[in-house]
Amino acid sequence: MSVGAMLFYILVFPGLLFLLAWMFFVFYFARKVLAYMHKRVGPHFNGPAGTLQTVFDVFKLLTKESITPKSADPYLFNIIPILAPLVAALPVILIPWTPLINNGHGILDTEYGVLGLVVLIGVEPFLLFLTGFGSNNKYSFLGGMRILAQMVSMEVPFFLAALSPALLFGTMNLYEIQSQNTWLTALILLPGAVIFIIAMLGILEQPPFNIPDAEQEIVYGFYTEYSGTNYVLLKFAEFTEMLVVLSAATVLFFGGYRGLFFDSFWWLFLKVAMLAAVMVAIRASNPRLRLDQMLKFCWSWLTPLAILNLVWIIFAKIYILGA
Amino acid sequence: MENIKNILNKFDMEYVEDYKPTWVKAKLKNKEDILNVVKALKKEGVKTCSTISPTDFIDENKIEVNYFLEDLFNKRNVWLKVDIPRELENCEIDSITPLMPSADWHELEAYSTFGVKFKGHPNLRYFLISRDYYGKFPFRKDFDWKEHEKNLMQNIAEITEEYFDEYEEYEENVGHDGSRTVLNWGPTHPASGPIRLKVYTNGENVEKIDPDIGYVWRALEHLAERKDFIGTIVAVERICFMDNPNPMICYSQAVEEIAGKEITEFAKYMRVILGETGRIASHLISLGGFFGTMGLQTFSMWCLDIREYFLDVLEDYSGARIATACIEPGGVRYPLNDYKAWFESINKAIKKFEDTKDDITDIFMKNPLMNTRAKGNGVFTLDDVAKYYLAGPIARASGAKIDVRIDEPYAAYDKLEMDYVTCENGDARDRLYIIFKELQQAMDLIKQAMAKIEEGISEGEMDPKKDHLIKMPKRMPAGEAVARVEWARGEMLMHLVTQEKATSPYRLKLKAPSVNHTMVLDKLLKGKTLSDIPLLYGSMHICQGDLDR
Repeated sequence: MSVGAMLFYILVFPGLLFLLAWMFFVFYFARKVLAYMHKRVGPHFNGPAGTLQTVFDVFKLLTKESITPKSADPYLFNIIPILAPLVAALPVILIPWTPLINNGHGILDTEYGVLGLVVLIGVEPFLLFLTGFGSNNKYSFLGGMRILAQMVSMEVPFFLAALSPALLFGTMNLYEIQSQNTWLTALILLPGAVIFIIAMLGILEQPPFNIPDAEQEIVYGFYTEYSGTNYVLLKFAEFTEMLVVLSAATVLFFGGYRGLFFDSFWWLFLKVAMLAAVMVAIRASNPRLRLDQMLKFCWSWLTPLAILNLVWIIFAKIYILGA
Repeated sequence: MENIKNILNKFDMEYVEDYKPTWVKAKLKNKEDILNVVKALKKEGVKTCSTISPTDFIDENKIEVNYFLEDLFNKRNVWLKVDIPRELENCEIDSITPLMPSADWHELEAYSTFGVKFKGHPNLRYFLISRDYYGKFPFRKDFDWKEHEKNLMQNIAEITEEYFDEYEEYEENVGHDGSRTVLNWGPTHPASGPIRLKVYTNGENVEKIDPDIGYVWRALEHLAERKDFIGTIVAVERICFMDNPNPMICYSQAVEEIAGKEITEFAKYMRVILGETGRIASHLISLGGFFGTMGLQTFSMWCLDIREYFLDVLEDYSGARIATACIEPGGVRYPLNDYKAWFESINKAIKKFEDTKDDITDIFMKNPLMNTRAKGNGVFTLDDVAKYYLAGPIARASGAKIDVRIDEPYAAYDKLEMDYVTCENGDARDRLYIIFKELQQAMDLIKQAMAKIEEGISEGEMDPKKDHLIKMPKRMPAGEAVARVEWARGEMLMHLVTQEKATSPYRLKLKAPSVNHTMVLDKLLKGKTLSDIPLLYGSMHICQGDLDR
């Protein structure tokens, strides 16, 4: 890999610029779709149909003062917002984004793609827990505790569901998984995909599992003390994680960038956008669960179902695909 | 009724007389008897204390304490008066809180504002008023407001300092032996409103809740005394912005009763329409807010969308959307020059609601996650209703058949068809359903009232351009009256005292239901988790405006 290519990957695609563009897009997209469901207009004045509103918002936050509260641990408080986006952006190198890069493989083409994804996604919540710990605020701390409880339980079905395509195709290489996927296997993987998406809502702290930053209960959870640049960085980490998890779902279950007539990045993008729209629709119609109800749901329904799903995958592999 | 009179006559009374069909008015000679009277009444079934209202008669050097005791289920109410000395040292009376827990905060309020000491109250303390009024008893007639306001900045500085001291104290409680801590849930919390709940928590579990109220205390009861009889409506309507016309109806009824005037039929029906519109505007916020407490804003937005149309109705009539000042003693404030156009905008608003009703039922009222959260959560039984006097929708959600509109009909409610709207379980979900049912009832009532007005106009009995107001005397005779209305959140009771040839009220006691609903928060939330606080708090439909007044 030449230096030029590496710089391109890091700075433009699928690195910094792409992730920034994604943040602006998904921020705007979520606000507009949510507004439509709320019977509101949403962002309207800046740019065509308000498209520049989120750009303005982000730059406004960047120019604001980043306050470190007196009682917070200044090092922990300020270092996590730098670490969090970095860690969140790491899995980007594993995902095969487009046929144009590396012959359609991910930038890092490895046999441990699924494993790497799950591990790197799983590290993120611990960093967020540390933000709550470092803020030294009662509400932030409660948010941190909640995020730990939620992650520890949600990662089990998440991992088990992510394992199902690997089990079906007998490989953990993400490129192999997406290129072996057919209409039939996509159908076989559907229960796994549903479990993955539900667990994904928990991982991304989206409603009805937005328990760690439940505004009406614990103000803003681990975000409470953050402002200005630090807040933007944390939000950036959140949206990057969302992109990674959504595209992971697409690659694992819905054939990644492969499309109907041609293979392109835009197919992947379309699938990600559709999943994001589903997420927003769930957000617009469902209230939040309680922490203990989430735990109960996760351990007594989702995890057993994820295990049953693995049984189903093995059954299908033997009797339907005839391995 | 006769039983109650017999009981009262056993004691040493100045008089025992009938007052309105559902009230007995009595005056006790000796303040030592109060506990025995209340005990005997409680045995008979009068279990609830609506409110306690002291009146300061500075010329006669006495304070008259009025007890409003109610038998909620048999609709028998007692208005008990007793004189106590005015000097601070002797200004005391036995507390009835041990017998009737619903009197708890009302006694504290009377103590804080009038200095009536209640002997035997479990925790007598200053309450509601801010710290700079402690020991000064602002509603007494000899309290000098101007003198007090001279030290405004200094008082504010002291309050801030004391708040920080208190805050430090809570921080120290966080020890290594346990995780017990105090969360300040408010007054700047996203879901709290201007109230502070001191939440004693152990991790996620709530051990105790101690509400700290008074953040929007505007001394409305005193403001009323400074204004003339018509000007008072603007103080009264500011109890809570959400249901605006009903408090004015209540106040106007009290004034009309003292003046001995009867308003026209047309004005009565207009009061029904305006009152129900206010109820709808309030209930729509309650409905949306209930889901808002669980992080779902969609429904709030939908409700606000519908509410705009009902605010249009108020605007078309009075020119204002929120603070309408549309009802005054003697009728309603404005004539209806074009009644057809106004009815048209009402119909438009009702149609807007009915178009969305099915969607609301399918998406929100049957929402499975809402069921998981709210079903069976925070149950109130009928006993709780009588014990703490939960009023209005909260009581009806528990199955209590209480509704002032039916029990003690006012305006034109006795001529309209209506029935008690109740639910059975009394949990948080029923407190949502009851609001939805009452919305539909309110719209039905509006339709009936509109039909009656149209009928009256076509038969020539009503003239919408002239009948709206009757002439009220500028100076009132001496007297006192109690008026009740069914406000959006429950019973609102006003006790008005006037003096001979007065131009402004001598004393106006406002009783609003949120006081009792906040009082039970500790009982409601003990042992629940932090996530239940916004949900159950929201399910009580508390408004801080009428909590503090």
